[in-house]
Amino acid sequence: MDWSLLSAFDFAIVWRYLPALLKGLWTNVLLTGLGFVAGGIVLGTLLAVANFSRYRVVRWPVIAFVEFWRSTPLLVQAIWMHFAFPVVSGLQTTPFQSALLALVFNVSAYCSEIIRAGILGVPGGQIEAARALGLAPAVIWYKVVLPQAVKIIVPPLIGTVISIFKATAILSVLAINDLLRAASRLSSYTFKPLEMYTTAALLAFVCGLLLTIAGNRLEHRLRRGEG
Amino acid sequence: MDLRPSVVLGNYPLLIDGVIMTLWAAAVALSIGVVFGAAGCAVRLSARPAFDRAVRGYVLFFRTTPEMVLIFWGYFCIPFLFKLKVSGFWTGSVVLGLVAAAYLTEIFRAGVQAVPRGQVEAAHALGVPAYPRWRFVILPQALRLMVPPLVNYFTELLKNTTLLSSIGVAELALQAYLLGGRTYRYLEFLSVIALVYFAIIFPLSMASRRLEQRAGSH
Repeated sequence: MDWSLLSAFDFAIVWRYLPALLKGLWTNVLLTGLGFVAGGIVLGTLLAVANFSRYRVVRWPVIAFVEFWRSTPLLVQAIWMHFAFPVVSGLQTTPFQSALLALVFNVSAYCSEIIRAGILGVPGGQIEAARALGLAPAVIWYKVVLPQAVKIIVPPLIGTVISIFKATAILSVLAINDLLRAASRLSSYTFKPLEMYTTAALLAFVCGLLLTIAGNRLEHRLRRGEG
Repeated sequence: MDLRPSVVLGNYPLLIDGVIMTLWAAAVALSIGVVFGAAGCAVRLSARPAFDRAVRGYVLFFRTTPEMVLIFWGYFCIPFLFKLKVSGFWTGSVVLGLVAAAYLTEIFRAGVQAVPRGQVEAAHALGVPAYPRWRFVILPQALRLMVPPLVNYFTELLKNTTLLSSIGVAELALQAYLLGGRTYRYLEFLSVIALVYFAIIFPLSMASRRLEQRAGSH
């Protein structure tokens, strides 16, 4: 190992380009947030509820969608969304839009399973009692099933945030201005790959760590609120 | 939209090469992961605070940092730091192996700790020495509990091998992407490899789920 390279580590250049790297990291955080809310919470819940539909025409496509998005790699999904999907749909999306779409569908598939398991965790007697009281199916969902399921769902759902954050780095295969693309662009511009990639790796680690700690805190607080 | 499956059929040898490369990378990463994961698990169970903290730090770092960032770091910084020429294949597979080691450390540890305490205590009370205690009491039970999460992690590992395409390793995803670009037939190539990944990963995750249910029913 060439130790002289380590002592020659150029902190000044890291400091100079830190804002550009942070801006890239912000794209990852933004994608994480959008992916979690749109994919995990909104689409994930819709898919999970559709999974309990009485009709096979609803249930089967939903199951196929979830299994397919869970059993293929995000990288393939992202390039498929950007290069193949426009051929099918006739719509050309920007790299960011393609990346976001792939992420949202991917996350929704994972989260719908978590949400489904949470719904299954609600005691059957609750639903039977609601039915016996003559509540409408929609009311049973909103007033009886979902509020109880939420308690079971929230902790594992928070756990997915760190996975989503890690997944957003994969989306840099499409030309989006995320952390990794910023680092590779800066490293070829400054001829300082060691400085740029090491800083990028540390920034990603610290950001992931903060997300994990925040998630643990939130989970802890929710659990205490219950008791 | 016109589909031309013949384009894919005409180029199938390259796709087969890609599948082989993908499986090789997964095999290398899994081997590294199992060896280092077992070592990490042994350290964590041995209750030596200093080493235990080091392993916990390792696990935290490799489970929190995006694999993609680690692969890029390895590919661009290792040759620079160590004055070594390493291929993308080996850099990427070793990085994925180090990440796998972090996950497998925890999977192995959870498996060993899930063996009922009474079993271990009984072996102790009977004066069973360490080797047969592990060989005949702890490991047979622990391994059975580890199989579902292990298979599940292997599916994640297979998906992560696609990340090697970004550093120029000609595994399945890169082959399909290049063929798509050369023939302007992205739809056919990318859809076919999506199906290939599905065909490999879906049965594995189904098996993992079934095994998990069976383990849970005991």
